[in-house]
Amino acid sequence: MNFLKRFARNRGAVIGILILLAVVAFAILAPTLYPQSPWRPVARPFLAPFVNERFPLGTDTLGRNLAAGLVHGARVSLMIGVVSTLVALVIGVPLGAVAGYAGGFVDDALMRFTEFFQTIPSFALAIVLVAILQPQLGSIVLAIGVVSWPPVARLVRGEVLSLRSREYVQAAVTIGQSTPRIIFSQVLPNTIAPIIVMGSLMIGSAILLESSLSFLGLGDPNLMSWGYMVGAGRTRLLDAWWISFFPGLAIFLTVLALNLAGEGLNDALNPRLARGRE
Amino acid sequence: MNLAQFLAGRLVKGVIVLFAIAVLNFLLIRAAPGDPAQVLAGEAGAADAQLLEQLRARFGLDQPFLTQLWIYLKGYLTFDLGFSYRQQQPVLSLIMERLPATLLLTGAAFLVSLVVGTAMGALAARRAGKWSDSLITTLALAFYATPLFWIALMSQIVFALKLGLVPNVGYETIGANYTGLARALDIGQHLVLPSLTLGLFFTALYARMMRASMLEVAGADFVKTARAKGVSQARVWRRHVARNAILPVVTLAGLQAGQLVGGAVLTETVFAWPGIGRLMFDALVQRDYSVLLGVFFVSSAMVVCFNIATDLVYRIVDPRIEAHA
Amino acid sequence: MAPVRSDEARFKRYDLGTRQGNGQMVRGMTGLRVSLALAASVFVLGGVAAQEPKKGGTVHVVVQPEPPMLMQGLNQNGPTNMVAGNIYESLLRYNEKLEPQPSLAKSWEISPDAKTYTFKLQEGVKWHDGKPFTADDVVFTLDKFLRDVHPRWRPIVNAQVEKIEKVDDLTVKITLKQPFGPMIMTQEVASAPMIPKHIYDGTDYRANPANNTPIGTGPFKLKEWKKGSYIYLVKNEDYWLKGKPNLDEIYWQIIPDAAARAVAYETGKVDVLTGGSVDVYDVARLSKLPNTCMTTKGWEMFAPHAWLTPNVRNGILGNKQFRQGLMYAIDREFGKDVVWGGLGKLPTGPISSKTKFYSGDVPKYAYDPAKAKELIKASGYKGETIKLLNLPYGETWSRWSEAIKQNLEDVGVKVQIENTDVPGWTQKASNWDFDLNFNFLYQLGDPAMGVARSYISSNIAKGNPFANVGGYSNPEVDKLFADAAIAPTDKERQELYTKVQKLLADELPVLWLLEMDFPTIYRCNVKNLVTTGIGVDDGFRDAWKE
Repeated sequence: MNFLKRFARNRGAVIGILILLAVVAFAILAPTLYPQSPWRPVARPFLAPFVNERFPLGTDTLGRNLAAGLVHGARVSLMIGVVSTLVALVIGVPLGAVAGYAGGFVDDALMRFTEFFQTIPSFALAIVLVAILQPQLGSIVLAIGVVSWPPVARLVRGEVLSLRSREYVQAAVTIGQSTPRIIFSQVLPNTIAPIIVMGSLMIGSAILLESSLSFLGLGDPNLMSWGYMVGAGRTRLLDAWWISFFPGLAIFLTVLALNLAGEGLNDALNPRLARGRE
Repeated sequence: MNLAQFLAGRLVKGVIVLFAIAVLNFLLIRAAPGDPAQVLAGEAGAADAQLLEQLRARFGLDQPFLTQLWIYLKGYLTFDLGFSYRQQQPVLSLIMERLPATLLLTGAAFLVSLVVGTAMGALAARRAGKWSDSLITTLALAFYATPLFWIALMSQIVFALKLGLVPNVGYETIGANYTGLARALDIGQHLVLPSLTLGLFFTALYARMMRASMLEVAGADFVKTARAKGVSQARVWRRHVARNAILPVVTLAGLQAGQLVGGAVLTETVFAWPGIGRLMFDALVQRDYSVLLGVFFVSSAMVVCFNIATDLVYRIVDPRIEAHA
Repeated sequence: MAPVRSDEARFKRYDLGTRQGNGQMVRGMTGLRVSLALAASVFVLGGVAAQEPKKGGTVHVVVQPEPPMLMQGLNQNGPTNMVAGNIYESLLRYNEKLEPQPSLAKSWEISPDAKTYTFKLQEGVKWHDGKPFTADDVVFTLDKFLRDVHPRWRPIVNAQVEKIEKVDDLTVKITLKQPFGPMIMTQEVASAPMIPKHIYDGTDYRANPANNTPIGTGPFKLKEWKKGSYIYLVKNEDYWLKGKPNLDEIYWQIIPDAAARAVAYETGKVDVLTGGSVDVYDVARLSKLPNTCMTTKGWEMFAPHAWLTPNVRNGILGNKQFRQGLMYAIDREFGKDVVWGGLGKLPTGPISSKTKFYSGDVPKYAYDPAKAKELIKASGYKGETIKLLNLPYGETWSRWSEAIKQNLEDVGVKVQIENTDVPGWTQKASNWDFDLNFNFLYQLGDPAMGVARSYISSNIAKGNPFANVGGYSNPEVDKLFADAAIAPTDKERQELYTKVQKLLADELPVLWLLEMDFPTIYRCNVKNLVTTGIGVDDGFRDAWKE
């Protein structure tokens, strides 16, 4: 059974992919759907949703169209999530793999380096980094990436450590395969499942982390992200719930979709797991 | 290698890491714009050059940069975390005053989430594909995917304001002067919302990690072998799968435990919980360097300890790993 | 934006503006019931005066953020002043019309040449540690302590005061170098709190261990400060004003999140939300709750004035036409009605209409994008990006930045908002690292103290965010402010200030946006809460709980 078929059999994963595709489509079509800037006040503030068809999701504290904000926000939030996760993976995976496989002094040095970044409370580190570099898109992405990679490295190292003493790896060593080949052909492929699970979670947590930074007033004030929208509407939960509810829902759905899709990918890449589903 | 050697080796390295981190923290914080004197003057809505000069001298900021670094490091070598001029108190006493509240909050959240999350994950994995799995997975996702501060505010509105079940903010009823059991109960009531809010997030993490990991292990060769040998299903899941699947969870738990001190900034802020996370954030936005560095140091030290503990647990759970000292 | 906005403006004005315009003791109500309730509130006010204050009781008040310390001589942060105003006292208080009232000074006399001020002190005043308060303490405080450490008193005492001397144990005489009208306004508690000589004289003030256990003469004493949770004040049984204070204890609670503060009020955890402690939108909602009163009084002395400072050193911002264009482009009504929920009033110039020496005879700038475009075009603006530095004081300020950015982009000015945390803002503002900068400054009761500092060229100095950071310099303005400060009569001062207001409103060294209102929300059974021109900052001396 090939990969696509296996993937398609997982209903959750398909739903996840569909949601993601929709979000991506909105992100791409944003300028066509709502050519006006989402920052522009266009109607009375606190217009309730589902009342005026021009503003299907209502308006916010300044009378800005929430639907426009949501669609434009999809671009910003997705980008923040994906780019910062890539930053984290690019640093974390090789580091963890080398550390776990090489062991000894190399492992030690790399793990000290990882610990170095982990021992500082990550959220505080992110805040400090954003404060130093000014709250802008670049510094936010960088800060999120920098605080997110150590768990990846540790996860990969843990997996590799465990795999290294497994029979098939030992066998490969015995028949004289080269170290890089063993890492790439025997060890890393078997760590992909947890990395995917973690990566899918990380895109979501990057989006969430950005919203937390926004909550503390450290977002990029020139970009309308979902995190910004939830944070800006949070003081109106009691009488204008929709301002923070819809962007919150968007974050929720996207994170959900990422996870479902990640899970499906995980199962499809590892046919052995399919048996767990009987 | 025996346990004592392993521990000693790790401790020595831990101290070195801590020292390096202390230096890095110092440099990092100094790179941020603004300084404590300017902040104080700015808050007062009035300032002149003389005031700034007086304040800078008081904070020791008039010394050469390297001298400041040296004074700071020398203090740390003698377990002196410095003095907060802003708060007119030694940093250590400020931290010790706030630490218990944070440990209570994060400890409660940690235990609840570890137990509930692991159980949920194991259950979901065991029933993979069935409706109970979907339910657990969806729940875990919902916990995970909602911004923490949103849950925090929503829970205050629902449980404190609308239903009136529990207090919304604070550590205890101020001015009630409860003692003994009544006080414990009072604190317990205040603990409910923040610890659940914080715990929900980690419950989701554990549940998902445990489930993924169990499914992964369930397909491994040694499990197949065990099944082929005719070991009972329950025994396979318990002895072979769960035991091996716990590794990534242990990694995660070790990490979370390390972050206990600094990880609750948002929860403590929204629930007005007088913990160390807020102390840190306040110090950060006031550039109260000595306090900030002190909190960073204490939490860093905790991370080092928990990392060592995690490696110990690794050795116990998976004896194949030779822990490298 | 204009057509839709005006609807909202009307809507908002109806909702909150009415509350503003008519006496501020209006209880929670809808617009329609205003007139009725107004009559009622007058009646209630009359009733209050006649009512005998009840003794005892506890009040829970929100203070935000947590003060760094309570030694008011060394620290005058907003939250410090709110709490410490109960512990320390000054020679004078000021009523809502900013007329001086007795406090530690029982009476005072100004010589006919306006150069000698003689203060007679109250009898039987004791410090919290039991030692008597005398003229020695006053001389020490004004001549030594505050001269050394207080950024507001220092320039006054150095420039204006010849000598401060003790006449007898209960009399102090201040002799000025020249007449200085604002002198009588300088003795507010945050500007000149009385400090005990026996504790501080001869010590290193900032290192004195007594800073943690503040000793004042005030109606309440510090009992406990649980960092991160609360500050606990108890009644001073030996207070010099017999029968006061009425309350037994005050808890100042520290709740960092604005939404959580609102819920804490609604669930009964706190009784008083001090000015600025809740989101502006919550003001409307909370003041409709039962047993809830709202007042915008108690800020007359400070009269916070909000504006945008253009950095006139930076290219096009040095161009007067361009600045005028910006002023026409900004929809200030929208800012007031939508961003600030209808609270406040549009300013016309540098001096707040709430204080003395205000003049409305100035060039005015109504919202007019077409005119703005013309002026900006004429100024030679070529599309350079203007950096707008946001004030990191919470969501409302961010919304304001966003609205103004939109206004300016509508007339073709490119704007990028810059965000920082508070220290970052202070640093950038102090070191002139901005194109446009938000700020709000207190007027401090007299233009010589609170207004001139933002416009005179001698105050162009790095390191202070409240100096003349925009760099505007005009010898004529300098002279007018200098002359007005020391002109012997109020009439002469008014003439000079009228001139300078007219001049500045044309030149626009800063773009005035709002005379801000900070509403205090409290349970109606807390009486006599706000009785002076600095409101809660003057302490809970007269407050009582029904």
